[in-house]
Amino acid sequence: MNEGLSVLIGLSIAYVASFLGMLFAYIAYRRRQRERASARKEDRHA
Amino acid sequence: MVQLTTLDWVWIVLYLLLMVGCGLLFYRLGKRSEADFFLAGRGLPWWLPATSVYATHTATDTPMWVTGVVYQHGLRGLWYTFFSAWCAISAFVSARIFRRSLAYSQAEWQSVRFSGLGSELLRGWMAGWMVFMNMFILGWVGIAMGKLCHLVFGWPDWVGLVFFSTVCAIYVLAAGYWGVVMADFQQGVIAFIAILIVSLWGIVEAGGPQHIVSKLHAMGEGWRANPFAFTGLFSGDFPIAWFVTMLIIAIIGGFGMGTAIDWYVEAQRIQSARTVRDAAYSIWWGTLLVLMRNALWAAAILGFYVLYPNIPDRAQYELGWYRLGLEFLPTGLLGFFLAAIVAIHLSTVASHLNLGAVYATRDLYHHYVNPNASERELVWAGRISTLLVLIGSFFYGLMMEEITKWLIFALWIMAAGVWLPNILQVVWWRFNAWGYLIAWIANLGLSWLIVWVLPAFGVLPHLPDYVQFWILMGVGALIYVPVTYATPPEDMRQLVRYYVMSRPIGWWGPVRAEAERLGVIAPRNVTRHSLFKRDWSAEEAEEWTREDWITILISPLAYMAMMLGVALALLRMWSGVLLLGAGILLTVAMHRIIDPKLKAISAEYEKKQKAYLEELDKIIRWEGVR
Repeated sequence: MNEGLSVLIGLSIAYVASFLGMLFAYIAYRRRQRERASARKEDRHA
Repeated sequence: MVQLTTLDWVWIVLYLLLMVGCGLLFYRLGKRSEADFFLAGRGLPWWLPATSVYATHTATDTPMWVTGVVYQHGLRGLWYTFFSAWCAISAFVSARIFRRSLAYSQAEWQSVRFSGLGSELLRGWMAGWMVFMNMFILGWVGIAMGKLCHLVFGWPDWVGLVFFSTVCAIYVLAAGYWGVVMADFQQGVIAFIAILIVSLWGIVEAGGPQHIVSKLHAMGEGWRANPFAFTGLFSGDFPIAWFVTMLIIAIIGGFGMGTAIDWYVEAQRIQSARTVRDAAYSIWWGTLLVLMRNALWAAAILGFYVLYPNIPDRAQYELGWYRLGLEFLPTGLLGFFLAAIVAIHLSTVASHLNLGAVYATRDLYHHYVNPNASERELVWAGRISTLLVLIGSFFYGLMMEEITKWLIFALWIMAAGVWLPNILQVVWWRFNAWGYLIAWIANLGLSWLIVWVLPAFGVLPHLPDYVQFWILMGVGALIYVPVTYATPPEDMRQLVRYYVMSRPIGWWGPVRAEAERLGVIAPRNVTRHSLFKRDWSAEEAEEWTREDWITILISPLAYMAMMLGVALALLRMWSGVLLLGAGILLTVAMHRIIDPKLKAISAEYEKKQKAYLEELDKIIRWEGVR
């Protein structure tokens, strides 16, 4: 395998893993934000 | 293939039984909680994580790499290995700060230091990166073991990879970090004894120290015994410019966190130490062992060079140290040598299996998927993550062998772009999560451009790696500094909380002022004292003082003197004896200066640790200031 292609594949895997981790974090953060917002709304109604 | 006697096999089998037995012995401790499975309950005395640091950084490919640079460059090749000296300053600066944060991982630290969406994205990014990195490192060292087994036993490459990693996984799955650190202690002792025996044996086989030096001079290659044999300011294969760059990267990097791939392994050892003082000494002494090990190898490799000069093929001369053991050790001792090779392999595999599982469990599962998980669930999540990291490592080891060689190089280059941000996040209050995140992402494009793409199109010449480092650092700063200023500072309440808990070094004036205004810390008040203060009040010890700065100055010098001293003294050179003596004196002086202060910091911090751990649990559960 040529050098450039080797680095391309290796680094791509590394960055895909990192972006997936970041996506995971974003989804969890948005979910918590929504939960907090709805909890605040319920408090106001109560 | 090497012919082994029954006694040789007995050594190997006994050793494997010892390791698996060790895992079973600590099974009950490992399964108690997440903190036990990943940090041995945060209660280890400094010498246990110190041995673990040393054992983990001694892998099957390490003697090959050190042999390669010393065979090629002589004793000056030792400077290639000196990157581990980042611990000289880190032990007394960033390790201290990180230990006080109590974060399980470098990813978790992001959500202690920063706040809001930026901190979560950073945490996720780093967790993903580290799960990958640990699989990758395991694959890389695993296949190195496979190749060694092929050389020694004639097995196919995959057998050595799968067999030894699986044996190791038994005790890591059973006892978690307890199994890792206890096995590392035995492995570290066995490995150091074997390295000492093989290296001294090799020096004797090469005719002894004086013969090696005189033979080198007779060959017209006396420069090989000189660690400062530079080839010019910028020219040749060992210019002063490279040397200075390497020293800056290693030593100044100690102010930061994550400035080397090793940082992530050390981070776990730092948190497993029972006090701030133990954390500091664990990585300082662990790294000293690494440097002395390199010096032992270096002296022996000069002997190998005298025996087998001018081997043109790197793959051949990289096996030099192994050849000294396999060709010259007598029957019976050979089995001990092979058991030691297994030891150095298992210690690395065990550490990375458990470390990869920390990020998968603590950061991805516990924080993002199940923040209210029970301790039992977390231990099981840890075991499943360990298994997944193991399986992933087989994939990398078997399928990505060719890639790994280049990835290592690329990772080093990429480190250039985040080297300074790694320091800024520790020392500068205004540096925020967005600045740090963009530094990581920008580096993806910049490293490609500067190292591969622009030279390929003739826009840039093919530059030496130290020049690439400075360019990447400068160009990266042009991106993350404006982004930092264009985005708001971190939430001041979060910064004050972090400041009070970790007491970071550097430019934290506005945060300090706010903390004083809120009355959560007292105004700075260090009484004037004689040259070195020995009786510290809790408040005085929290401040960065003259004692810290003198330690920061002495520590790298002690490392240098000890490393060069061991190598040159083994070659019976007077300069080596003098350097070794100076290194010991500097080490003693440094500990006399800093130890009373570290004791005072530790005593004070232990009183508050329980409350800080509760705050950390709140972050995991998405409660508190966000």
